[in-house]
Amino acid sequence: MMRNLPALIIIFPLVSALLSVFLSKISLYLGRNLVITSIFISLALSIVQLREVIINGPISYKFGNYAVPYGIEFKIDTINAIMLVMICIIGLLTGLFSTNFEENSKDRIKIGGSHALIALLCVGMLGMTSTGDVFNLYVFLEVTSLSGYVLIALGGSKGVVSAFRYLLIGTVAATFYLLGVAMLYSVTGTLNMQDMHDILSSRANDDTMLIAMCMFIAAFGIKMALFPFHGWQPSAYTHAQTGARPLIAGVMGKIPAYAMFRYLYCVYGTEFKYFRYFLIVIGALSVMGMIYGSVRAMAQTDIRKMLAYSSVAQISYITLGFAIGTPIAIAGSFLHMFGHAFMKGGLFFASGSIRYKYGIVDMNDFGYIYKKMPLTSALLSISALSMIGIPPTVGFFSKWYLALGAAGEREYIYIAILVISSLLNAIYFFKMIEKIFMAKDRDLKPIGRDSVMELPWTMMIPIVISILMILGLGLFNVKIINILLMSLGGIGI
Amino acid sequence: MRKVLAIITLVIILLIPTFLFDGIMPSIGDPNSAPNTHVSDYYIENSVEMTNSPNMVTGILADFRGFDTMFETTVMFLAGLGAVLILSNRPNIKKRFIIPRNYIKQRPNIGAPRYKTINKDVMITLFEPLMMIYAAYVYFHGEISLGGGFQAGAVLGLAYIIDVMIVPGRRKKLFALDKGNALSIGGIGTFIYALTGILTMTGGGLCLEYDKLPFGLSHAESHSAGILMIELGVTICVMATIITILNAIMGRVRFDDDPIKRREDA
Repeated sequence: MMRNLPALIIIFPLVSALLSVFLSKISLYLGRNLVITSIFISLALSIVQLREVIINGPISYKFGNYAVPYGIEFKIDTINAIMLVMICIIGLLTGLFSTNFEENSKDRIKIGGSHALIALLCVGMLGMTSTGDVFNLYVFLEVTSLSGYVLIALGGSKGVVSAFRYLLIGTVAATFYLLGVAMLYSVTGTLNMQDMHDILSSRANDDTMLIAMCMFIAAFGIKMALFPFHGWQPSAYTHAQTGARPLIAGVMGKIPAYAMFRYLYCVYGTEFKYFRYFLIVIGALSVMGMIYGSVRAMAQTDIRKMLAYSSVAQISYITLGFAIGTPIAIAGSFLHMFGHAFMKGGLFFASGSIRYKYGIVDMNDFGYIYKKMPLTSALLSISALSMIGIPPTVGFFSKWYLALGAAGEREYIYIAILVISSLLNAIYFFKMIEKIFMAKDRDLKPIGRDSVMELPWTMMIPIVISILMILGLGLFNVKIINILLMSLGGIGI
Repeated sequence: MRKVLAIITLVIILLIPTFLFDGIMPSIGDPNSAPNTHVSDYYIENSVEMTNSPNMVTGILADFRGFDTMFETTVMFLAGLGAVLILSNRPNIKKRFIIPRNYIKQRPNIGAPRYKTINKDVMITLFEPLMMIYAAYVYFHGEISLGGGFQAGAVLGLAYIIDVMIVPGRRKKLFALDKGNALSIGGIGTFIYALTGILTMTGGGLCLEYDKLPFGLSHAESHSAGILMIELGVTICVMATIITILNAIMGRVRFDDDPIKRREDA
């Protein structure tokens, strides 16, 4: 059991997703409940695994017990062990949250199927995070993006159009990735990341590596919606299925960013001849993205669209950390990854709840909502403060570590842009807070479902846990940074 | 302006590789290039002995890199699931049913076989069993010669498509699957694959380590059994996915030669 932890974390949600439709035919909610239970088991196992990794060091899991470059390997160090926990938590909360959006439907295929998609999205992201094999990463990228396309397309007629656009661009990204892998394979003859790193650093293949890296940046840039590649993202996040939106917006963009980190620092490594140039390119893209995303977000009144544009800016913080390249900055960008998953996930939980209760998405209608939905408004405000970067929320500390790293490398322009972008964040998030607390009361009528509680308990749990995680990650940031630095020791400039 | 810029960018992007790609990849068939010396050598020398599959491709696909294939199969299932969910998004089919165009009313024989030379009703009943036997052959021989789970599943799915499409409504179908059942079967097919991985883990091994299958078989037998099990899963999943996608599309399409009865329903 303990030996098989890395595989079991993936197999549980996979099996539940495969059987979900079949079980829904037997009993209406059986498949859905199995999916939620299995993600919960994965969460428990991933916490056990994190503890194992912290105590005993990295785990290498070989499928089929074949020696390393010949079979497929899962490599778990402290970075991806924490990321697995993050994916499982958001996946579980999203699974609970989305049960509320299908109450009136008795369509068995739909209830079983949409939860199967959430589980498969989790499986794809868990696999992309755990794997130590470049082609295996492609397979999981495929699972992730396909389930992402379908979940976006389920959000109504506008969702179908944005999913189709994402499908076209995402296929280009997957092709770029495969081309890059093919080029690296042509000079190394292996698919294992560690083995590839050893061979690449022992032979001079700088030109091939240069072109392959361009392709990887394009591929992962499209998948994570980095600035010039972000075109598909705002409409996709806006029109995705309401229940699944926190998972899509909160986590789906982070995993390609993590894969980009793996390629930059673990497969290529700092001894790559053009390494510095790529850091500058990524830094420039991030700087532009931070300003562009914030400026576009200011112009939106639809809260979903505002949050989507804000994601373009926030993903750039993560890549900015990679561009600075010192261990402390990389740790900062990972902390921002975890924090932002809960902030953006939390904001989408809150906006989804408001839509569930009152059917509104326009911020101008939010007047006095803090009296009607106190907990939801608390989550909105705390997430907004964290986005701006006010202590003791996690947003402050991640930006602090980024700035610390930038100062250590004497990249003062990055610090300036970091501050400017935070101020721009403040403009549009305070606009939202103002609408919640001070705008005129709109006399909103709850649509249909009258209840004593603010929301059903399956929506309260995600909201409460998001609040706790945003504050908790901020208060215990030193612990998390220390855990991250255990693996980042040899990496970085 | 935008269009011109786009075209210029496209031309530059297409031109750059033609200069840069020269000499960065090893030439085709170079025996000393990296792909031909590192991992491939190991596979060529050891795969038959280690996987007990005379077909090296099957050995790599189903044994060395069996975990990849598990998720390729999941992608198939996901394709079927996505097609069903997206296409059934508007559940009320009757509202979308188009009123039949006039010329259909003027043609009472529509749907009847147009060419009388070959009687399809008879030929299909001969064809389908042969196709299924061929699919079984491809499935069992995938380990030895060309073929395997994906191809066998495709042939089985094709048998169903022919059964449904050629003579609609004329003859009793051999087997009918609605989209929900087909989707469930696809899920169960992929589950058989995952189950193989779970069985090896309960036998005390790592995931997909066929030597540890808890059936008490020898090294060679257990590898063959494992490969056959996962190929069975792949076959069922591919067949069911093809049927699922067909059903999902048929739910949204109205053909000219629909039987008269359904037109009156509308």
